[in-house]
Amino acid sequence: MSAARSFGQFYPVASPLHALDPRAKILATAVLLLGLFFVDSAAGLGLVAAAVVALVAASRVPLVTFLRLLRPVAFIVVLTVLFQILFSREGETLFAWGIVEVHEGGLWLGLFLGLRIVLLVSAAALLTATTAPLALTDGLEDLLSPLKKLRFPAHEVAMMMTIALRFIPTLHEESQKITRAQAARGADFAEGGPLARVRAAIPILIPLTVGAFRRADELAEAMESRGYRGGEGRTRYRELRLRLHDVIALAATVLVLAGAALL
Amino acid sequence: MPDPVSISCEGLTYSYPGGTEPALSSVSFEVRTGEYVGVVGPNGGGKSTLLRLLNGLLAADSGTVRIAGHDPATEPFEVRRRVGMLFQNPENGLVAPFVEDDVAFGLENLGVPREEMRVRVREAIRSVGLVGYERREPHTLSGGEKQRVALAGLLALEPEILLLDEPTSMLDAAGRREVLDRTQGLRGGKTILHVTHHLEELLDADRVLVMNGGGLVADVPPGDLVSDPDLLEKNHLALPPLLRLAAGLGLEAARPRTPEDLARAIREKARGRAGTR
Amino acid sequence: MRLELRNIRHVYSPGTPFEVEALRGVSLSVEPGEVLGILGGTGSGKSTLVQHMNLLLEPASGDVLVDGVDAATLKRSELRRRIGLVFQFPEAALFAPTVAEDVAFAPRRLGLNEGEIEDRVRESLVLAGADHLKDRSPFALSGGEQRRVAIAGVLAMGPEMLVLDEPTSGLDPASRQGLLRLIQTLQDTGTSVVLVSHNTDEIAEVADRICILEGGEVRAIGSPAEVFYTHPEFAPATVLTVTALDEIGWDIGQPVRFGETLRALGDLVEG
Repeated sequence: MSAARSFGQFYPVASPLHALDPRAKILATAVLLLGLFFVDSAAGLGLVAAAVVALVAASRVPLVTFLRLLRPVAFIVVLTVLFQILFSREGETLFAWGIVEVHEGGLWLGLFLGLRIVLLVSAAALLTATTAPLALTDGLEDLLSPLKKLRFPAHEVAMMMTIALRFIPTLHEESQKITRAQAARGADFAEGGPLARVRAAIPILIPLTVGAFRRADELAEAMESRGYRGGEGRTRYRELRLRLHDVIALAATVLVLAGAALL
Repeated sequence: MPDPVSISCEGLTYSYPGGTEPALSSVSFEVRTGEYVGVVGPNGGGKSTLLRLLNGLLAADSGTVRIAGHDPATEPFEVRRRVGMLFQNPENGLVAPFVEDDVAFGLENLGVPREEMRVRVREAIRSVGLVGYERREPHTLSGGEKQRVALAGLLALEPEILLLDEPTSMLDAAGRREVLDRTQGLRGGKTILHVTHHLEELLDADRVLVMNGGGLVADVPPGDLVSDPDLLEKNHLALPPLLRLAAGLGLEAARPRTPEDLARAIREKARGRAGTR
Repeated sequence: MRLELRNIRHVYSPGTPFEVEALRGVSLSVEPGEVLGILGGTGSGKSTLVQHMNLLLEPASGDVLVDGVDAATLKRSELRRRIGLVFQFPEAALFAPTVAEDVAFAPRRLGLNEGEIEDRVRESLVLAGADHLKDRSPFALSGGEQRRVAIAGVLAMGPEMLVLDEPTSGLDPASRQGLLRLIQTLQDTGTSVVLVSHNTDEIAEVADRICILEGGEVRAIGSPAEVFYTHPEFAPATVLTVTALDEIGWDIGQPVRFGETLRALGDLVEG
């Protein structure tokens, strides 16, 4: 009876971003991520920031939800900013107190680096929030398939991701059931320090792992029985079609990043 | 002209690696096209091993198998396009995060073109009564619903033969009924081999194979099976309560399907007695 | 030990769009030494209900009373020791390298000394009919054997009451019979048993009282004859047969179990 949404990051709503082909989005995200490291001016970063804000707005994902996706990196961002502020000696001194010196250069660099981290994570968050997990695995499989020539198991990787998506909620429920069964035998998972808690997790982890292997065996039998023999000769039920606006979106991303890098 | 014999085994023998005794010992039988054959027997007696040898998940140590016109050990793929197998655990037969994608899985493996896939998936989902479930996620389904999705996935391939490996043993009463309604409905069209512990599921079968200790110990019509206490006991088979009651009252011949049937048989016998007094 | 549930309500995910009222005011009691059968299918709330008996789940409202004392005031570990709960497919929680070590898990948590633990392990394995499996790995056993080991693991706590959620689920007929006999053995030792199942015929064979749970509510509770003869949609094959005969005015009484039904009908048939 788990009420948890099974695919955590994806926010299902209709938006121009949601409608884009996942391959275009994955490539655009890659361009964004890589391109950001070539942007070294405040104006350039500002341009990218404006673009990202526009994309977040277009995604129709509520701001609150989006910010929650960024929460895990808030600590790193603050740390980065503070580090630069406190330890950089570039430019004029703005403020000094004992051994603590805040320089103008440090302030700007700190803010620059902090903003860049925020933009990097926002790009990734935009991708996962606007793309259904299955679409992501399909897109990745397609993009990686040229690598099959280099013996890269693109299909197998995509199949593994699909199966993982299928079983994550199931394994979650299973772990809850096992936890309750052990609690009924007197196990206490909340008491004791970190070492005790790790030891207390063993009666959950072992059955969960053994169960997962058994599950994998049965699943493999079922898959084989249904004619599975790897990626050769397989067709795909779900359709991915690259359309004009996908190409435009990708091109626009490249242009913005190129422009920002040149600024 | 379709082959009159769907499945045939001759001297089928198999031992699991590291096993001290053969799991299957020189088993021979034939199943004609369109027959509905039950397979019963104690756990470890060879029932599941047999099914896995039939669809090529295992390869026999000796003996021959021919199913849907092919040898599963050398042509497993050809066999699997024609033979669908439904497993015991409803959870571990579903591979995709959504119902319709799972039903399409087998079709994808066979390289069926997309447009045709859509039609066959839709039809398969309809045939198991799950219209509207297409975008549901497996973990939100009941056991009976999961098995029906698995069945739809098999039916989409339009198999000639169905192998059912205790498909209802992990389900509750409602789930069992859901699944059995659909599988019983496939009779006549397909050849079915149904492994189960619930003898009441096989009362309409054409024959029942009894497997024990790796051997085929009996091949009888269901009526003969349920009225042979020796056969039942030796093979650890349990009659459903209604039939046990009937047997206890000497009314096996009545073959009651429902309590009303049994009541009628009791009335007749009691009246008959009263008549002789 | 007498367990009483008073007006138990349980709501999953309250205040969210996924809110579900699994139990809508359930009241029942488990008398000392009895076997109470709870009959319910998927969606009846039975699994939610049993988890309230040892307060693994806490009710949104209502009380759980153990010998008249509010269970919420008792130490959780003590409560779970006195009321042993075996979930459906309990073998999924087996984890130790040997059966003996797995069964020792609960007594060890109780802080007993090694000697006492060994005794408990041996006794509960014998009770569960699994002592010949003591040194085997739990993962190398058959389904029926694993089931017995899992039950032994809970029995090792020495509970006064044992709650079994669908204990025969997925077992072959021989193992099922074995398990029902185990329930009768437990009752003989004075342990009360709550048996939750959707299998009417099985419950009818062992229960002293029956409770029918449907949609989170108690539909009926009473002696098997009372409950089954007034609720044919939940009745076992024996009761249904007798009911079908009743229609023509023969009075055979109200047998429920197989043995007594066979005798009653046998008399009728023999004249």
